Amino acid sequence: MRMLLTSALFLFSAWASAQDDLGPQGPAVKMAPAPVVTAVQGKSATVPLSFRVASGYHINSNKPKSEFLIPTVLKIEATTDIVIGRTTYPEGQDMSFAFAPDEKLNVYTGDFKVLVLVRPLHSVQAGKYIVRATLKYQACDNAACYPPKLLPISFDVKIAKAPPAHIRNPAQSPHVHR
Amino acid sequence: MKRNPLILFFIAAIVAAMLFAGIRAARNNRANGHAKRQLMGNLAPDFELPALDGKNLKLSDLRGKAVLLNFWATYCGPCKIEMPWFVELQKEYGPQGFQIVGVAMDDASTEDIAKFAREMGVNYPILIGNESVGQSFGGVSVLPTTFFLDRDGRLIAREFGLRSRSNFVDDIKKALSQGKAVPAQK
Repeated sequence: MRMLLTSALFLFSAWASAQDDLGPQGPAVKMAPAPVVTAVQGKSATVPLSFRVASGYHINSNKPKSEFLIPTVLKIEATTDIVIGRTTYPEGQDMSFAFAPDEKLNVYTGDFKVLVLVRPLHSVQAGKYIVRATLKYQACDNAACYPPKLLPISFDVKIAKAPPAHIRNPAQSPHVHR
Repeated sequence: MKRNPLILFFIAAIVAAMLFAGIRAARNNRANGHAKRQLMGNLAPDFELPALDGKNLKLSDLRGKAVLLNFWATYCGPCKIEMPWFVELQKEYGPQGFQIVGVAMDDASTEDIAKFAREMGVNYPILIGNESVGQSFGGVSVLPTTFFLDRDGRLIAREFGLRSRSNFVDDIKKALSQGKAVPAQK
């Protein structure tokens, strides 16, 4: 029994000390696998990208309150087949932190979603296309900040053929036989 | 052969502990531990960087003074908390041969860094840092990071992240008490 307790204690202390080191070094933001969005040739579709800020960290929103703060920005690589439209960022939360209790910062914590509008060209062939992007963010915790990081991401867009244009029979003009 | 579950658990615990210890050691080598082992107690790596006033400052030129070397950035909230303390500490301990040096480690323009420093009322030199200087101090992956040099230029303490003002006072007193003071030039 004593051996069991000793080994359990040993295991726990090793685990706890390892956890202490995980903070500053690892990336503070990760993206969940993006759903494959189907877009019809020539039509717009929205791709939702879900990100998660690690517990204990915050990153600036897309519209931080100070000119000195680095906003979270998704930079999408240009593609030849898909027009990249507007990127919509969620509103951040106004939060105070221990290092500046009187100041409200506009930040993302936990899960947040960025929406990207895509529109395949009319001429593009149907199929699956990959779009690459980079999320730039700058993370802090309650006592320290970390240099800005670039998180490379990608998502798939499935392009479907546009349905054939519906051709109506033109109304028959009255044809009078005399 | 019948295996004792207690022994199996113990073996699993040891393997898991070794794994975690390995991860920890690897991380330490990459970051802070590297700086601690390689730098502490030794002469601080020397560098020469441009200051906001346009002049260059060489760290070794401060030999004879106790130095607080603070790596910071304009985007760093915790750094903003320390700066007013540093202004006070420079006033209080400066006459005893103490010098604070700030090293800005961000991508902001020199004008923005100068504007920020003015707004904070900084009364000590701010240098424009770069990656290689950060690397020479073991890699500055956390801001603020502050090193303390004794009068001989040896690194005697370091602080990662925001610490209490009393922590800084203790380290400053330690830095002032060690090494050889250089008489002020007339």
